[in-house]
Amino acid sequence: MKDTPLSNCERDFLLKAIEEKKRLDGRQTYDYRKMKITFGTDYGCCFVDLGKTRVMAQVSCELVTPKENRPNEGIMFFNIELSPMASPAFEQGRQSELSVKLNRQLERCLRNSKCIDTESLCVVSGEKVWQIRVDVHMLNHDGNLMDAASIAAITALCHFRRPDVGIQGDEVTVYSPEERDPIPLSIYHMPISVSFSFFQQGTYLLVDPCEREERVMDGLLMIAMNKHREICSIQSSGGIMLLKEQVMRCSKIASVKVSEITELLSKALENDKKARKEGGRCGFAESMPQERITALKMDETSVEMTDVTERAKDIVQKTEAPPQLVRSPVVPVPGVGQVGQGLQNTWGLEEEDEEETEECDNSDEEQEEKVTKMEEEEHEKEASREGDVVEISDSEEEDVVILHPETPDKTPKNTESRSHQKGAAASKKRQKK
Amino acid sequence: MMEVCGSSNVTLREFGCEQSLLSRPDGSASFIQGDTSVLAATYGPAEVKVSKEIYDRATLEVLIQPKVGLPSVRQRSQEQCVRETCEASLLLSLHPRSSLTLILQLIHDDGSILSCFLNAACMALIDAGLPMSCLFCGVTCAIDADGQIVTDPTAAQEKESRAVMTFAIDSTERRVIMSSTKGSFSVHELQQCIAVSQKASEKIFQFYRDSVKRRYSKTL
Amino acid sequence: MLSTLKERTGEVLLPGDEFSFETDDSISLTGPVRPEKVVCGPGLRRSGDRLLVCKSGVLRHKQPHMFWMDSQQRRYVPAKGETIIGIVTVKSGDVFKVDFGGSEQASLSYLAFEGSTKRNRPNVQVGDLVFSQFLIANKDMEPELVCVDSSGRANGMGVFGGGGLVFTVSLGLVRRLLTPHSEVLADLQQLFPCELVVGMNGRLWVKSSSVQQTLVISNLLQSCDAMTAQQRRQLFRRVAQGAL
Repeated sequence: MKDTPLSNCERDFLLKAIEEKKRLDGRQTYDYRKMKITFGTDYGCCFVDLGKTRVMAQVSCELVTPKENRPNEGIMFFNIELSPMASPAFEQGRQSELSVKLNRQLERCLRNSKCIDTESLCVVSGEKVWQIRVDVHMLNHDGNLMDAASIAAITALCHFRRPDVGIQGDEVTVYSPEERDPIPLSIYHMPISVSFSFFQQGTYLLVDPCEREERVMDGLLMIAMNKHREICSIQSSGGIMLLKEQVMRCSKIASVKVSEITELLSKALENDKKARKEGGRCGFAESMPQERITALKMDETSVEMTDVTERAKDIVQKTEAPPQLVRSPVVPVPGVGQVGQGLQNTWGLEEEDEEETEECDNSDEEQEEKVTKMEEEEHEKEASREGDVVEISDSEEEDVVILHPETPDKTPKNTESRSHQKGAAASKKRQKK
Repeated sequence: MMEVCGSSNVTLREFGCEQSLLSRPDGSASFIQGDTSVLAATYGPAEVKVSKEIYDRATLEVLIQPKVGLPSVRQRSQEQCVRETCEASLLLSLHPRSSLTLILQLIHDDGSILSCFLNAACMALIDAGLPMSCLFCGVTCAIDADGQIVTDPTAAQEKESRAVMTFAIDSTERRVIMSSTKGSFSVHELQQCIAVSQKASEKIFQFYRDSVKRRYSKTL
Repeated sequence: MLSTLKERTGEVLLPGDEFSFETDDSISLTGPVRPEKVVCGPGLRRSGDRLLVCKSGVLRHKQPHMFWMDSQQRRYVPAKGETIIGIVTVKSGDVFKVDFGGSEQASLSYLAFEGSTKRNRPNVQVGDLVFSQFLIANKDMEPELVCVDSSGRANGMGVFGGGGLVFTVSLGLVRRLLTPHSEVLADLQQLFPCELVVGMNGRLWVKSSSVQQTLVISNLLQSCDAMTAQQRRQLFRRVAQGAL
């Protein structure tokens, strides 16, 4: 889907307004939009609303083998998803330029600044370390995705708790959250990025551009800083030429903004910690605004089940009984699938080699998902042993190759062997002259 | 034949729904069932790529985004379930050669996730004002080890149950549009679960009606 | 059916609700029996002998027998005769492609402007705003726009836009602005003098005497999308008193 094109009149008006120091929503040049930080039910899930831009970050961890050149350090992995929900211009799966840019900037901002103590993530040196994965999803794009993403990522990292690990000699036990309280990550400092957009070849600048301002801007300067006034990353894109004083001025503005945002962030973390300690439910149902007419909540309700058994009995009795007697059904033996009836070829292609390969996979990774058709056929097969059952394995073909991972039989005539539920794959190759 | 014994009431967890919460999509809704929460957004009818256009109907695309990692096969199969349900109830022939995109973002999974996807999808479609012939809702039933039917199970309940079934039920005649099941169960149990889901769906449809009424309650 | 429809006017209905003809047990043989006629507007569809609701909203009624669903929507679906604000995206040969926010781009011929001939082409650039109406707009064909009415006069249509700001609002607000004796418009007129172009695809163009005033008006209109009449009047009053 394409985004609505920008009309000339809109562009001219926006530039004229910026020259007069006026912004679309009435902000001042250095003002941020209203920011709101909320947390989810589990540790490590954080939502950031920057005006109408909405972003969600989730932190998760798992034990992996470390990199060879850094056996003592944990691994940090960042991923920014430009979800198609955020804007009609974002497409699923396509690694667009914007996505690459945002990912790179977030990595530089958080990983290269060494804000997380990766050595504390080491469990067994050289063998097992924690891999911390941060996924940031864009939910609504109204400008300045980078700042919102960086705030969400660092807040989620501060909020996250990893499972406690106990080492006794050679044995490593990972305790579940019920056994031992999970512990927070050790974070040295909180880098936050501040974006400046430049217009008219660097003459005018705006902090926190909204989506329309982003469309008419010439270039973008992103400064990632922490509250100790240390610059973690600085990037200028768009090809604008900035003077030294401009960059210095921007860094001063950034330090002011970063301290404000860090304060807001810490306050939000504090409130959340307090709420969790009090034991109140921190789910989403609570955080939903009740006063809005677009929101509604309903409490736990019960469903009446009084006449359910009678209805069910009725339905089962009324439906036709499955056909028990079928004359000469063509039934595939368990472990074998088939396309077509296996009888007369009606395609009109004669004298040609036909190759039909079927695969029948009747297992899932974790659970057993039984295909009801196979069940029925097994029932039919059992019930109609007295009928004239044509089993596919017993066929007119010369060359029947059935491959079983457990029993590698090349040319069996009789394939009564039951296939295992997990991971059984049977393929049948049929060649007809 | 297993009989359902014990209490004659099963419960649905508390629901919450918020519509029009995002400014870019044409329709958006967030649906909460207990701790399970999903955010849905729709765009459409919008431009469609020539390779995907259908001459007499709209092309419906459903995208499910998990919270961690990239979408995998499980999300694809869930997308198919949701897409088939939506195609059964949307009037796609009113917008030929256009695209309808439905994006579902998982916020938190605490069981009954497919039914939460379905409910959020329906609310987002209502919010966008897309023409539909009926509404649909999703209900998940689980049969635990004792043979009891539990509706709207949590993740812990789903793990301990013998079978988990999700049904999509339409609003006009309470028939089953789509079913997705996991585990082993008898025909009788299946019919009982369908009957329970139909009863539960009445509560959900009433909730839809209440939320839309509340939305239009202010005279602008 | 007319009676059930009239009873439920003003109620909030959902897709799937239906109205069917009641079978009268007795039809009077002596009195005149007139056939009922019901005109269905947007949101209502006929399916066999039933009337189905296909969009959620409030059922509205206009005498003598017109019914429709009043719903809050953001996406525009083109309909013949509606005037919209479009953005020219492609200028190729004889035809301009105009984006109006729908599922495809509409075509606008260069001859569809007042006073334009093959030699005298209109001055339209890519990115210009055009105010035009739909000549052809159905689901099966590519929509076509014209900037002249049936008698060949522009009637306010054509290229426009210097110095103003264009923004998007919901379709409901646009309909409220275009009703005769619109309250919103009346309140707005008391604020500042301004030029306003209303496109039924949800786009509005505003121009006032200064940039500040234009911004104020555009923000006001975008926010009164979701306000009741009273809240809106309060807000306008506050602005008029100078809380700029």
